[in-house]
Amino acid sequence: MDWAGWALFGVVATATLTAAMITAQLAGLTRVDLPLILGTMVTGDPDRARVAGFGIHLLTGQGFALGYTAVFALLGRATWWLGALLGVLHVGIALTVLLPLLPGVHPRMASARAGPSSTAVLEPPGLLALNYGVQTPAVTVAVHILYGTVLGLLLQAR
Amino acid sequence: MSQVPAPEPGAPPAPIADYGLLGDTRTAALVSSTGAIDWMCVPRFDGASLFGRLVGGPEAGTYRIGPAGPAEVVERRYRQHTATLRTTWVVGDRRLTLTEGMVAEVVGRLLPSTLLVRRLTAEGGPIEAVVDFDPRLGPGHRAPRVRHRRSLLVCEWGAVAVSLACAPGSTLVPGQPTRVTVSPDRPLTLVLATAHREPLIEVEPDAAWELLCADEAHWRTWIAEVDPELPFRDAVTRSLLTLRLLTYSPSQAPVAAPTSSLPEQLGGGRNWDYRYVWPRDASIGVAAFLGVGKPDQARGFLAWLLRASRLQRPRLPALFTLNGLRVPAERQLDGWTGYAGSTPVRIGNDAANQHQLDGYGWVVDAVWVYVQAGHRLDAETWRAVRGFADVVIRRWREPDAGIWELRQSSHQVHSKLMGWLALDRALGIAKTHPLSGRQQRRWQAARQAIAVDVRTNGFDPERSSYVRNYGSAELDAALLVLPLLGIEDAGSPRVAGTIDAIRTELGAGGPLLYRYPPGHDGLPGSEGAFLPCSFWLVQALASTGRRAEAVELFQALLDRASPLGLYAEEMDPVTGAHLGNYPQTLTHATLVQAALAIRSAPSG
Repeated sequence: MDWAGWALFGVVATATLTAAMITAQLAGLTRVDLPLILGTMVTGDPDRARVAGFGIHLLTGQGFALGYTAVFALLGRATWWLGALLGVLHVGIALTVLLPLLPGVHPRMASARAGPSSTAVLEPPGLLALNYGVQTPAVTVAVHILYGTVLGLLLQAR
Repeated sequence: MSQVPAPEPGAPPAPIADYGLLGDTRTAALVSSTGAIDWMCVPRFDGASLFGRLVGGPEAGTYRIGPAGPAEVVERRYRQHTATLRTTWVVGDRRLTLTEGMVAEVVGRLLPSTLLVRRLTAEGGPIEAVVDFDPRLGPGHRAPRVRHRRSLLVCEWGAVAVSLACAPGSTLVPGQPTRVTVSPDRPLTLVLATAHREPLIEVEPDAAWELLCADEAHWRTWIAEVDPELPFRDAVTRSLLTLRLLTYSPSQAPVAAPTSSLPEQLGGGRNWDYRYVWPRDASIGVAAFLGVGKPDQARGFLAWLLRASRLQRPRLPALFTLNGLRVPAERQLDGWTGYAGSTPVRIGNDAANQHQLDGYGWVVDAVWVYVQAGHRLDAETWRAVRGFADVVIRRWREPDAGIWELRQSSHQVHSKLMGWLALDRALGIAKTHPLSGRQQRRWQAARQAIAVDVRTNGFDPERSSYVRNYGSAELDAALLVLPLLGIEDAGSPRVAGTIDAIRTELGAGGPLLYRYPPGHDGLPGSEGAFLPCSFWLVQALASTGRRAEAVELFQALLDRASPLGLYAEEMDPVTGAHLGNYPQTLTHATLVQAALAIRSAPSG
């Protein structure tokens, strides 16, 4: 297990994913704003939430990187395409399991069953996060493949 | 129990104003005074129709419970400050009452997302009633796969399923009206539950009734929070409650109306799908809810506006879906007979692709009102506002489709005025938010240029009135917002002249106004008077020192509400019949704003 590689490259891969996601958002491809979504779990101020959310996202990304690094260690090699494959698995779980479950735990996210007393202002992602734009699944798949590829490439280089 | 013959297929439809609104802030149903739900979509406002007889004819499904024979409606009203509707019929010396509503608060509990509860009670002795449950899904009027599970009737169409529970238990068959006897000591309770991509959740009828009663308490609390000093409070709170029922809670998006293709002219082709969200409506709603002391609701509208516009920013589309996505292209439904033969019936809306300059004015004004109320904008919201203002600078010289969504663009004076408003309000917000000096100067220059342009090309000095288009002699009732903008002093002769000219030339009798000379929009046929314009007139009068006239006009408009206090978009000036999609968010939002203007106007 490459602990030093995990510690450093996990941050690099997560930062790359975040940058790609923000780029896609600015380009009008998706309304997913991961720092905002994660940060509003701890604060209702959108500006502070983005800062907090960026930190939370880095930590979460580091957690996922641990899984990738462990798989690479188990298989005895790290390659870009293996990282990309893990990225596909990762995004599949994220889109079909993690994001749809988010309204159940997020204090400021409405659910599809929200009623008049709901003061939540974040809309729920819906199936495959399609509520955030029809291109959201494609963007999300692309950035997670990028995440896995970056991790695989960097760990391979060691 | 016994079967009864189906109603005559060619029977004339109930007047639009006969329908009451039931809703849970996720979807809605329209129910006539015969107890027939003739419109309801699942799982949400813009979903497939489950009961569509209102515009689809008998094949499109209905759900009626009521007296089996001839009966007279003697009372019909919402329970005070709730969304629960009561209809009472007299049958001989006996009375039959239908109490019905949807359970809005289902979050955090094992309940279906749509739970429609209907209870029949009898007084004076047993009464024969009828249950006609005939659900048909979507444009193709698809009949369900039916099964009975214990006392539960289950209808399925793949991802969508509905169940109907009945207490006391009885065997109901979809499409076959069934007679039941309701006794004073045995009310009949029916519970409709829906499921979409999830298992059905069964709720016992008595438990569902308790939930509905608990929901009423929520609504009463909600209304109790509204400013107690509001003038015409009962009418205004009914409008507020209607606006809330038409706000899709999961995204806080206010749907323009829960219906599609109710006609603007009986038998005509001006039939549009309004089950989408217009930024203009949300913006007016922000001011309305802030004005009555409901900041959370206003914040919700604003948050939705900013989220929805994110993908195409800084361009502001004319309308969105409930989740802020692109509205589907317009198409006509084959085999749908239309309301009173008014075809085509359409779903989707092509106005989504139009350039409507006025939209920027409404939205930036809403943000400004929010800031004026003491709220601060986060960085992204302010960035979005700056983007909208920059679009106005780039595009104000172009012709646009304007507020009336004309299919032929032109230089509309109202649009230019709203462009001016966008820049003026953005500059107002900039007083408390960071803006570069260069950008500020650009906005100021453009604002001045629009003012000069519109005064030069959009004003008729002979009539002392602003006109509809550059070079046109026609008027536009949307110009009644003029005294609220600030481009002209509210007491100026130009403002008074515009108000009076519109009242004279676009007057449709009584308090009613046409939005522009009827039929002058390039579409075949004509249309009714446009109700929001009348409420804008109230607002204009109140804000120019003519409060007494405003109050008189407002009262005359309240007299024209449906028996349940609801409004469509338009009204036939001759018959007083409500026309167009119903009930209408814009009409109810402008009603609230008119009342607020009366409140603010100095009396005497």
